[in-house]
Amino acid sequence: MDYFAGIDVGALSTDAVILTAGSEVAAYSIVETGANSTDAAEEALAGVLAEAEIVRSQIKRIVATGYGRVSVPFADKRVTEISCHALGAYHLFPDTGTVIDIGGQDSKVIQVGEGGKVLNFTMNDKCAAGTGRFLEVMANKLQVALDEMGELSLRAGREVPISSVCTVFAESEVVSLVAQNHPTEEIIRGLHRSIVNRVWNMVKAVGVNGGVAMTGGVAKNRGVVALMEEKLGQSVHLHEEPQVVGALGAALLAWRASQSAG
Amino acid sequence: MTQFYGPSRKRYIRQQKQTHGRHPFGVFPAHYPREILWAMNVLPVEIWDPPLEVSHANAHLQPYICSVVKLGLELILQGQCDDLDGFLFPHTCDSIQNLASIVYDYLDIKKPCYFFYHPKAPYRSSSRQYYLEQLQTLASRLEKQLGPLDLSELKQRVQQGERLAYVLRELYTLRARGELCASNTEFYRVIRQGEYLHPDDFLPILEGFLADRKGQADRLCPIILSGILPNPQEILHLLDNLEARVAEDDLLNCSRRLLQPPVAREDPFEALAENYFAMPPCTTKDSPLMERVGFLLQKAAHTDARGVIFCMVKFCEPEFFDLPQMVEELKEKGLASLVVDSELNQGLSGQLATRVEAFLEMIR
Ligand code: SF4
Repeated sequence: MDYFAGIDVGALSTDAVILTAGSEVAAYSIVETGANSTDAAEEALAGVLAEAEIVRSQIKRIVATGYGRVSVPFADKRVTEISCHALGAYHLFPDTGTVIDIGGQDSKVIQVGEGGKVLNFTMNDKCAAGTGRFLEVMANKLQVALDEMGELSLRAGREVPISSVCTVFAESEVVSLVAQNHPTEEIIRGLHRSIVNRVWNMVKAVGVNGGVAMTGGVAKNRGVVALMEEKLGQSVHLHEEPQVVGALGAALLAWRASQSAG
Repeated sequence: MTQFYGPSRKRYIRQQKQTHGRHPFGVFPAHYPREILWAMNVLPVEIWDPPLEVSHANAHLQPYICSVVKLGLELILQGQCDDLDGFLFPHTCDSIQNLASIVYDYLDIKKPCYFFYHPKAPYRSSSRQYYLEQLQTLASRLEKQLGPLDLSELKQRVQQGERLAYVLRELYTLRARGELCASNTEFYRVIRQGEYLHPDDFLPILEGFLADRKGQADRLCPIILSGILPNPQEILHLLDNLEARVAEDDLLNCSRRLLQPPVAREDPFEALAENYFAMPPCTTKDSPLMERVGFLLQKAAHTDARGVIFCMVKFCEPEFFDLPQMVEELKEKGLASLVVDSELNQGLSGQLATRVEAFLEMIR
């Protein structure tokens, strides 16, 4: 049987998805990108092959995406993460009209149309505010694990407003708040609010249409998701591993290309 | 295909001085009567995006000034204008006005500085008279430095300017139809030489290029570039790699200064005025926004372009003033757009490249 793969080389993680000839997800893998994107892509592919219990020669076509897509020498095609997240989210949740992707080094809001086509998009690619990197820096400062932040913020009774959008200024603000003995969870909730507000400006620019899907690593943070849902006034679609949605979109493009090639 | 490229600016300027006794002038963007300069044996050398690091200029300019002005001032402050015999500052925007005043009033540069004021829209019946007066004033000021202006020479240079515009229009038309075999990078590299080559040298290059590259080009995704100039320069190479063809442009340093087919005029000053008022709409001439929208839509219609990339120079007031409404209007009319704003000579970051790539994936 033929299989199709998508590999998303992101700033923090590299994700791979394998689809069957019937476009069903056979397996996925997530590895840290580390210092070498090509090695990370190889590792993610090896991982997903093992998971799917198939060998490389069974993969008919590979599409690479993410900022490191150019560093995947074995890819047949390279497509931007914007198109891939749109398609991946649409495939999982067909009523998706808007995708909010908050990744490690940038965030994007994508308007999605029929068939998962991108109709419009906006990207925050100039600074770390409103990205996973912002949370990583703050987790470090607060000495909490990144993946605990969501739970902690949900437990907070109140939130401490963070006035700085800039990561560097917010970091010093956090230091002062800690020194003033504000509870960690309240500070975290304030930080989450700051990310959501930042991304919200992008959401407003693109507009909300139909269902909203959140993708990217930050969508694993339940605290950020809850605040975004509050802002949207509707619940969002989430995959169990939101950062693989881009790789899924890439795999779907690999699959589609083989369909159209007959 | 090096025959379509002249010598580097520095070498060319020196050569022009030595062999033709020409007076090279540093000319800031954008609209000015180059024919008068040519007729007075002046070589206008336009200053748009010199490849420099800004260091000295920051001491004279506010941080929110565009990099065209910053780089231009840097060029002067670094002493790289020693070969020039003067400067011309057209009244393009407040930033250039500000620069003119810094250079003329505060820097002791010991070179003649000229200023050129052109009327802004909406044009009234008096605008034409005003423009004619400005042309005469500039000419008579130049005469004090360079001797009398020969009217028959001016007439000839006006015709040469029209011939140049004719060849350029031909190149644009062929490109719009997909009948010019030139990459985006090559096209702009060739035509931007007009920013410093004398028409006697530039015209044969353009004619050769036109003759050589006429022919059915590959079918690539047509797009339009709008803004000040193709910046970052690497964007052209990226578009080549992504199989997109700039089918038309609305760039200040390129087609917004392209003369339209001339109306016969005996008096060369009248001909210059005629040409000025017939030029395409432009932010630096305060053209009404809807005129600009209509102009872009027309370009999109005849090229089948499905998107416009706005190449914005950070802090460019005239362009940013129109931009939000332009984007909205185009969107309403079904034409997608992407805004790329960057400082000059800062290269193309991976993220910016992704935005351009995603935009092309979206409109294809
Ligand atoms: S880029 Fe804009 S602000 Fe700068 S000189 Fe040109 S028109 Fe003026």
